Amino acid sequence: MRTFILSSAACLVVATLTCAILADDAHAQYFRKPASDLDPHIMLIDEEAVLGAKIDGQTLLIDQNGKEFRWAEMLGKPTILVLAYYTCDGSCSLINASLAGLLNDVKIVAPGPDFRILTLSFDRHDNLATTGAFRKHLDLVGPLNDHWTFATFKSEADLAAQTEKIGFKFFWSPEDRVFLHPGAFLFFSPEGRLIRVLYQGSVSGRDVELALLDAKQGQFRPGEVINFALSLCYSYSYQDGKYVLSIPIVIGLGALGIGLATLFGSMLFYKFSTRTKPTKDGSHAEAA
Amino acid sequence: MPKRLEMIVNLLGILLLSGEAAFAKATTGEIQSPTEAWNHTWDDVLWDLWIIGGVFTIVAVYLLIRYRARSPGAVGTARPLNLDMALAWALVPAAIFMADDFFLAAKGWSLWNIQRQVPRDAMEVKVTGYQWYFEYDYGNGITDSELVVPVGRPIVLRMTSKDVIHSFGLTEYRLKEDMMPGRVTYLWFYPEKPLETQVVCVEFCGTSHAEMYNKVRAVPKAEYDAWLSKKLERKKKAELRKSQAADDGANVEPAQ
Amino acid sequence: MTTATEFAPAPRRSGIKEWIFTTDHKRIGILYLVGAMAAFVVAGIMGLGIRIEQMSPGESGLINYFVGDFAQTMTTGAAYNAALYFHGAAMILAFLIPALTGFAANYLVPLMIGAPDVAFPRINALSLWLFYAAILVALLTFVIPDKPDIMWTGYPPYSITTSANTAFYVFTVHLIGFASILGAVNFLITIIYMRAPGMGWNKMNMFVWTTFGAFVIQIVFVPVLAAAVTLLLLDKYVGTGFFDPTRGGDVLLYQNLFWFYSHPAVYVIFLPAIGLLFDIIATQAKNYIFNYKAAVYGGILGIVVITGEVWVHHLYIAGMPNWISIGMMVTTLLISVPVGLILISLWGTLYKGAITYNVSMWYAVVCLFLILAGGLTGIPLAITSLTVHLSETSFVHAHFHFIMGLMATFAVFAAVYHWFPKMTGRSADIPIAKIAFWFTVIGSQVTFLPLFLIGIKGMPRRYWDYAMFPEFEPYHLIATFGSALVAVGVTLMIVGWIYAAFRGPKVSTNPWNSKSLEWTHTESPPGPGNFQRPVRVDESWTPYNYN
Ligand SMILES: [Cu+2]
Ligand SMILES: [Cu+2]
Repeated sequence: MRTFILSSAACLVVATLTCAILADDAHAQYFRKPASDLDPHIMLIDEEAVLGAKIDGQTLLIDQNGKEFRWAEMLGKPTILVLAYYTCDGSCSLINASLAGLLNDVKIVAPGPDFRILTLSFDRHDNLATTGAFRKHLDLVGPLNDHWTFATFKSEADLAAQTEKIGFKFFWSPEDRVFLHPGAFLFFSPEGRLIRVLYQGSVSGRDVELALLDAKQGQFRPGEVINFALSLCYSYSYQDGKYVLSIPIVIGLGALGIGLATLFGSMLFYKFSTRTKPTKDGSHAEAA
Repeated sequence: MPKRLEMIVNLLGILLLSGEAAFAKATTGEIQSPTEAWNHTWDDVLWDLWIIGGVFTIVAVYLLIRYRARSPGAVGTARPLNLDMALAWALVPAAIFMADDFFLAAKGWSLWNIQRQVPRDAMEVKVTGYQWYFEYDYGNGITDSELVVPVGRPIVLRMTSKDVIHSFGLTEYRLKEDMMPGRVTYLWFYPEKPLETQVVCVEFCGTSHAEMYNKVRAVPKAEYDAWLSKKLERKKKAELRKSQAADDGANVEPAQ
Repeated sequence: MTTATEFAPAPRRSGIKEWIFTTDHKRIGILYLVGAMAAFVVAGIMGLGIRIEQMSPGESGLINYFVGDFAQTMTTGAAYNAALYFHGAAMILAFLIPALTGFAANYLVPLMIGAPDVAFPRINALSLWLFYAAILVALLTFVIPDKPDIMWTGYPPYSITTSANTAFYVFTVHLIGFASILGAVNFLITIIYMRAPGMGWNKMNMFVWTTFGAFVIQIVFVPVLAAAVTLLLLDKYVGTGFFDPTRGGDVLLYQNLFWFYSHPAVYVIFLPAIGLLFDIIATQAKNYIFNYKAAVYGGILGIVVITGEVWVHHLYIAGMPNWISIGMMVTTLLISVPVGLILISLWGTLYKGAITYNVSMWYAVVCLFLILAGGLTGIPLAITSLTVHLSETSFVHAHFHFIMGLMATFAVFAAVYHWFPKMTGRSADIPIAKIAFWFTVIGSQVTFLPLFLIGIKGMPRRYWDYAMFPEFEPYHLIATFGSALVAVGVTLMIVGWIYAAFRGPKVSTNPWNSKSLEWTHTESPPGPGNFQRPVRVDESWTPYNYN
């Protein structure tokens, strides 16, 4: 009998604890406002409309060394795309610098072997000189510097068409002489599908990490079991624009644990409790 | 021990890589229609099932007739199997079943590669599920409640849902894929000849689940282009009318 | 050699009170059977309503009467969905699982292992009444206006956004889940520790082994289902967002959790059904179980081990990562190895036997062919790519009706006929039973074979109307005709049972000359404590040792 009392007590404790956590989480999920400095309605990418969209693989781009390449060449691994313009000394370098900072916190995947980074200008006036200056100003070091490409669109028509495809909007403000644009990091899958959009300022290195795992679209190698497990434990919240712990999976695993514990617990209990009971008397038993 | 584990992990890795190689192969060369591939695989698998089912049925019928009790009170004459026979009767069938499983898995996987590997030049249409209809977005702001596609070009559908889970069931093309809120899924098909068929919703989505379907028309390229330009024109006209109405709206009373 | 005549006759007569407060496993077993059959009848009537509505495209409106909407306030679609919900949820949760792990396990396991009762008789009674509470909650469907319409799977977001009542579904699952965890603890401990002296693991009846396997599955996986539906409840009524993607939830997570239990649940039904067949066939063929150890350790335990790693075959078209789908396709196909060993053992048990046919054995023989048909049609559904067309069609619908709706159900019927003399001292093998048998068996084939055919052609499941597929009407018409035959058969069968329980021909305590303990060592029906003296079995004894 005692196991039942004990196990139900344990269940109760677990249930109360989870409820407390849940309530807290539900509260947090309800009352948090999307964090963004810009007018959220104009300056956010309408994710629901563009998730899964592709940039044309044939789109010609020019990198910081003046070399032409096609967007398709960036693919085969997850890619983080930042759209910016190089003569901007305010928010654009901030966005790129902040991504660099976040990527320094990313430990389980590395730029180069696991993913690529591309900053692309949406300003048709940008050229090799402005690209170089911007890059110098950013002052990247190490693997980030090696695997981070800065590029411009070769043709203006592509610029307009491809940014529209992924729902990226920008406006020239003549008074302020700056472009208004979202400070977004766009995550592309190895096949070039837009998988996730995160905004600078509201995310942490962990979010970038999880978005990169998301961008792998489940194509993990056996050695990446831990990464895969990690990607399962979190899920993306569209409302918050970041990843949150997936409580159902924790509860599911907990429930599985309770099942296994009940199985072994009741066996142990019976074994120890029957020791004191009179053993089944076989002496009067009859043979079949 | 960790070394052996590492070996196993590596082996698994090689297995997966070879699978990916198979993926890569599927993309080169001419386009294989997932519809025909399905029909082929189904026929093959059906043969497999009939053979297994036939053998078991014949044996069962024979045993049931041959070994009926000849006299009241008769008992069976079988003896328990000795160890060798017991092992043989366990391992040999297990090996045969496993071999058949891997044969079927290989067949299934190669069809799966065709179904999931979208050809590069596929035309993309965005489909959104609502309770209870599908909406098709052809790009350029053209949306319609009907799926019209040109013949001779692979079509990839990028799908999501705005409310509950639906599923895009292209019965005639032997394909389906779920559409879920918060997730994007894909399905591709290859209309090789003109065909008018339908798509049905095949994931339970509420009261009118059984009424969620629409036409799917594969038409010659010229006809498709004409249809598209007509749509575009109509859309432009509607926009024009709208903006005019907005301009006039200030001084014109709405018609009663 | 002991004979039955040594036992004192005449079981204790008793009133209704003794049934309600009983802790006797045999009475609890019979009460489980009564409850499960009640659920079967109501769910069967819903099934008949479903078939009538599908008989032709367009609405008949008849389905509204079936679900208690006499004022016709619901649309046909809504009424049909309510009927379908009840049919699925009740057949699985309130008929199949309770009939096999409630009735059969309760009545037979202690008798077969020579135990006076189960380890915790009072907990056993508690789980019985939890089961009855669950049936009551399920039956409330017919009186509340917002009848649950979420199918037995309850996928979010629909189960959360629907205006219908999801809570009753969740409570039904909770009650049945709690009842089966209690039952599982009880029976596992009974089987592990209370076998008669001398009865080693390799001498247990096949049904005891399959029950053991089924309860291991229940105890491990049921909590996961309970957790998943609880989150559903919180999402709908408390306002959390566990399955709401805008708030960090994931709609697929529910499906994963649900099928993580619900695929194994198929084996919670399949295994005891097979166990019953083994015992019936071995008894009627007076034969050894062919390759007992392979069937037990390879077959039953093999299924228990693999069953937790195959659930993604229910999500092949839900956009799961490729490698998971492919991996689980392989594990799913590999289930054919343990199932194959079980089949060979079943077939082999006929070999060199001396088969006597009676109604019970007829049902068992039909089950052999149903396992084949149901099992083989499961193979294409294990293959990711074939499922892309077949899933959510009436092919799936017919497949699981063959294996669960027909095979497992007929195994229960066979068991009732086989152990009827044990439960009542009378035989149920009377002429009406034979007529009922033919109606039920032929009717079930007429019902479900057409569904395979239109399933391959793409007839979707869960459709009350099929205006887009007018060409399927003849098939639906035939299927509906078949279901009417089944209804006649089942009615005759139940009438026969009730008649036979009071007026059936009296038979000896061991009419089949079985070697199993429940026949050789107890009266019919057995008195309190089952055995008058503790049982001990000797070295050469097995329940299948006939020569
Ligand atoms: Cu739908
Ligand atoms: Cu399953």
